[in-house]
Formats: sequence, structure tokens, C-alpha cells
Amino acid sequence: MILALARASLVRQRARTLLAVVGVAISAAMLLDMVMLASGMRVSFGSLLLAQGFQIRLAPKGTLPFDTDATIPDASGIVQRLRARSDVIAVSPVLGAQLHVEHGTASVSAAALGTIAAVQGDYKLLEGELPAQDEEIAANDALLAAVGAHIGDTLRVAAGFDPQLRAYTGQRALRIVGRAHFIYLSAGERAMALPLATLQSMEGSSRTDRASLLMVRLRAGADVEAARAAIERDVRTVSAISTATAIEQVEQRLSYFRQLAFILGTVSLAVGFLLVTTLVTVSVNERLGEIAVLRAIGVRRVRIVEQILIEGSAIMLVGAFLGLGLGLVTARYLNSILAAFPGLPEAIDFFLFQPRDAWVALGLLAGCGILAGVYPAWRGASLPIAATLREEAVA
Amino acid sequence: MTAALLLIAALSVATQGIDSLPPRHSPRTVAIDERLAQDAGFRIGDTLVLAATPGGAGDTVIVSALVRRSRDPSEVAKGAYRIRVHLDALQPLVGYGDRVERFAVATRGAAGADSARRAIDEAAFGFRAYSSHEIAVESSTTFLVVSRFHRAIGVITIVASAVFLLCIMLLKVDERRRDVAALRLMGISARTIVRSVVLESALIATLGSVAGVGLGALVSAFVNWHYQRVYRTPLTFSLVTGEIVAIAVVLSLGLGLGAGWLAAQRLVRRPPLSLFGR
Repeated sequence: MILALARASLVRQRARTLLAVVGVAISAAMLLDMVMLASGMRVSFGSLLLAQGFQIRLAPKGTLPFDTDATIPDASGIVQRLRARSDVIAVSPVLGAQLHVEHGTASVSAAALGTIAAVQGDYKLLEGELPAQDEEIAANDALLAAVGAHIGDTLRVAAGFDPQLRAYTGQRALRIVGRAHFIYLSAGERAMALPLATLQSMEGSSRTDRASLLMVRLRAGADVEAARAAIERDVRTVSAISTATAIEQVEQRLSYFRQLAFILGTVSLAVGFLLVTTLVTVSVNERLGEIAVLRAIGVRRVRIVEQILIEGSAIMLVGAFLGLGLGLVTARYLNSILAAFPGLPEAIDFFLFQPRDAWVALGLLAGCGILAGVYPAWRGASLPIAATLREEAVA
Repeated sequence: MTAALLLIAALSVATQGIDSLPPRHSPRTVAIDERLAQDAGFRIGDTLVLAATPGGAGDTVIVSALVRRSRDPSEVAKGAYRIRVHLDALQPLVGYGDRVERFAVATRGAAGADSARRAIDEAAFGFRAYSSHEIAVESSTTFLVVSRFHRAIGVITIVASAVFLLCIMLLKVDERRRDVAALRLMGISARTIVRSVVLESALIATLGSVAGVGLGALVSAFVNWHYQRVYRTPLTFSLVTGEIVAIAVVLSLGLGLGAGWLAAQRLVRRPPLSLFGR
């Protein structure tokens, strides 16, 4: 009976109920988006860093990886020392540079990563072979398209320019042996990978035996934080950054989005709560006579409370389910806007759906739905029966 | 036409260290980031040793000025400290030779800038000239993305507000259906009733938008205060301009009028007796 009465009460004012459901759906969508925004970046960035299994990154002292042009001296010596550690499986040194590919009368600039192909963790080979030999490169689609080249072609690539001699410096003929996807680069950024030694020699004496970054893969079960601290103590010229530290630093830089997510999520929840509270309260005020009659014929107070709570929860839950679908669509749209951040790796998602997020949003909305019915339920259940009947029913 | 030369390098700072560069008559001066001075406790007149690598060959310098970060959006999320060093002191320190990373060129007027740019590009090999405007656009990309994101969130908020307002107006007119029925039976026209409801909702929307503008100004001041402290920058993050106020007021008035009209239609389309519940 209680369910039937609650249903009848909602159906009686169709337009009002429909609008309330739409309002709650929009609030729920916003809430889901904000819950996704609050955790998405952390999860997405964490999985990106761990994608190739490297738990620690070494950058020049006081800097973040590739944050400045600074490089680490004595890279080969550091690699040897790290490999000697029992908890280290692999060390991947990386040198970053900007190279210029001759294309007709002009040149096309591209990011270049000098790596050791056997241990690299910066790109995935899509086609062809890894650039393991001197004067071999793997290029991404953006670069291949920009210079109109294919696997097997040879490119003339320079490390820089000499304005006085009007000539390229560090120029080499490099053969494309593979097509690659660069994990940490932004969409559309032109890039190539080549052997570390090749890039170091192209860049000249200023980059001899230097690396921009060293990535360290530890054995399964190794204590990452202890290894990080030990490496930083041992190698004075680097800052050792674990995945957790890197995530923390990125979160600190983008704390704005977490705070925005918290504020907008709270506002969405408050708006949904106010909307349902207002509607159910007005609905109860309109039915005071009906509630008094129910009480007069013996319906217990708890049943009245249940009916009103069910009304509020029903609006909230139906709106929440609609809102979850709407939220996924809007999250996709908002993510496409933020994906245009300059330099943001293509694989980073600000809005990452996880089932936990949906449950959190649903739980919060369900809780609000119940709370929204508390005041009107108390008002309905505490009516003086005789006086209300006299005022409402008899009138 | 005057030119400034710029070379940027990551340096290590130590209050004590080994000065390994050839001796000079007196130490050169540097200007350090105000944040670095605060964090490390440096003051004007302090003697520091700058090195290109931690523990590496250094150069003794004297802090002669503290500099505050400029209102540059591209700098806002960067935590790195900046030290301004004389170019001829930095080049030997970082082993850069007679090289710079960029030239800043001052010209006479906008036309002079264009012709200078063309001349430099024609003569240049290995570098390109950009106008200040191009650099400003490039370095503001991050904030343009944030601005687009805010606009999208704003649209969602407006839709939610419209639904909320419509709900409230429906409730308000439903509450008065008996009064309206009585007015209709007394001969008051449907048009007059619609006008009165629309007028009421316009008044509510106006009062709401005035309160909203006040709240917005307060929130904007808080946002600036908070993020200027978080990012330690003088950059203004939130601006309440006359144009924004006008858009907010017009939008809320439009929404109020629309919601009022829709709610009033529910009242006047029903016969007066049915509004009485008969």
C-alpha cells in the first residue's frame, strides 16, 4: 500500500515530478563528472607512468623529468652503478633533444629521444623494427606525415644550425626502420626515437655521456621508496622520483582541478538535495488532509514516514540513474576539451570512469534522497490528526 | 632598435662552495626570485655560489635585487625558481660559449615590428622571429583550454539552474491555483494573470542576479586570493567585468521570464473550476 500511495503521489503531479527528475539527473551528471575528475587524473597518470614497468625516474637534481634542458652527467657510470644494485632489473637512459629534418628547402622540427632499444620504455613499436643500430630511427605518424616518409626511407636530420656558416650542425642520414607510438608525448607532436649514442654524438660535446632522464625498473616486491631514497643518496647529481612522488607533484600543479571538482560536486549535491526537499515538502503540504485521514483510519506514523521517504528517494534514484548516463556523455565532452592542454600526454584522461566513481555518486545521491525526505516526513508524521482534519478535510 | 639577450639555465645555489672560475676584481651581481629568497632565507647583499651542477664548478655572486614573477600564465604552474644573471657571467658558468637562447628586439611602433620581423626572417638561418602577440597567444594556450572548460561547465550550470527555476515557479503557481481561479471567475483576463506571474518571476530573477553578482564578486576575490597564494604569483585568475555582469543579468532575466511564462501557461490553460478541483 505504501508503495502504491507513493507512486500515486508522484504520478499525480507529472510535470513537477518530471522536472524534479530532470533536475536531479543534471545534478547527478555533474556529481559523477566531478567524482571522475577528482580521481581520474591520479589513476590515469599513475597507470601511464607504470605502463612500461619503471617505478623510479632520475632527473637532473632539483628538476622534474624533461621540465628543463638540464642533463645528467656521467650517464653510463650511473647506469652501471644502478645495474649493480640487487633490487634493480633494468635501467633505461633517455636523452631528449630537438632535431631538424630536411624537407625540401625548409626543415621540420621534431622531438627526439635517444634510448637503448632493448630497455627503452618511452614508445611502443607499431610496425617495423626497433632502432637498435647506429643511424636508425623509429618515427611516429605525425613526423612521417609531415615529411612524407615511410619505413625504409632515409632522412637527413640535423641537431642544430650554425647561423654564421649558414649550415646545419650534427647532421646525419638516418634510416627509418620502424613506426612508433610515443607514450609520454601529446597528440600530434612530431617525434622520433634513435639510439642514445647516435643522438649524443649528433648533439656534440655538450651532450657527451649525458642523459635527460634515467628510468629504473625494480624487482617484483622491492621496496620502491627505500630504493628511491638509496639511489638519491648514492647519486648526488639526480633527483630520484617514484611514481607516487611524481603523481603527488603533478597533482600539486593541477590541484586546481581537484578543488574545482570538490566545490562543483558539493554544489551539485546541494542543488539536488534542495530540489527534492522543496518538492517533497510542497507535496506533503498539499496532502496534509490526506495524511490526516490516513492517520485517522489507523495507518501508523512509521508508514507515513516510509511513504514520504520513498517519494524523495524514488525521485533521487531515477534522476541518479539517468544522470549517470548523462554524466558519461558530458565527461567525454569535457575530457576532449582538457585533452587540448599543451604538452599533455595523449594517454592522460582527466575524466576516467571507474565503477567505484559511479557507486560513490549513486551512494551520495541515495543518501541525499533519504535526507531530503526527512523534514517533510517528520512534518507529515507529526500532524495533529483532529485539528488537521478539521482544517483541511472539512474545509 | 635595441636588443636584449637571454640565456636560461638550471643552476644550483649554495651559500658556501668552491669558486673555480678565473678570479675577477669583484663578484658579479644577480637578482633572485622572491620565492627563493623567502624559502632559502636569502637577502639582498648575501654572497652565493652558483653552479651548473650540484657540487660542480661555481661562481661567487652577490644578491643585488629580488624579483617577483611576472603575470605570465605560462609560468603559473611552474615551481622552478628563477635567478637573473648577467649574460657574460652565465655563458662561461654553463659552458655555453657565445650563444643565447633568444633575442628580444624593441622596435619603433607596430609597423617597425613587422618590417623588422620580415627582415630578420629573411636573413635568419636556424632561428625565427616571433611577434610578442604570437608568443602571448602560444603561452596562453593552457588558459584558453581552461576557459573553454569553464564555459562548458557554465552551460551545464545554466541548464541545471533553468530546470530548478522552472520547478520553483511551477510550485509557486500551483500554490495559488485557487486564488487565480477566483480572479478568473471575477473576470480578470488570462493575459493579466500571465503578465503578473511573468513580472513576479522577472523580479525574482533580477533580485537573484543582483545577489549572484555580489556573490560572484566575493568568490572571485577569494579565488584570486587563494590561487595567488597557492601558485605564488601576482596573476589575476578571476575577473568580474562589466560584460560578464551584463551577460549574467540578461541570462538570468531571460531564464526567469521563460520559466514564469511556462508556469503561467499551466494556470491559464485550465478552466477556473478545474483549478478549484471541481
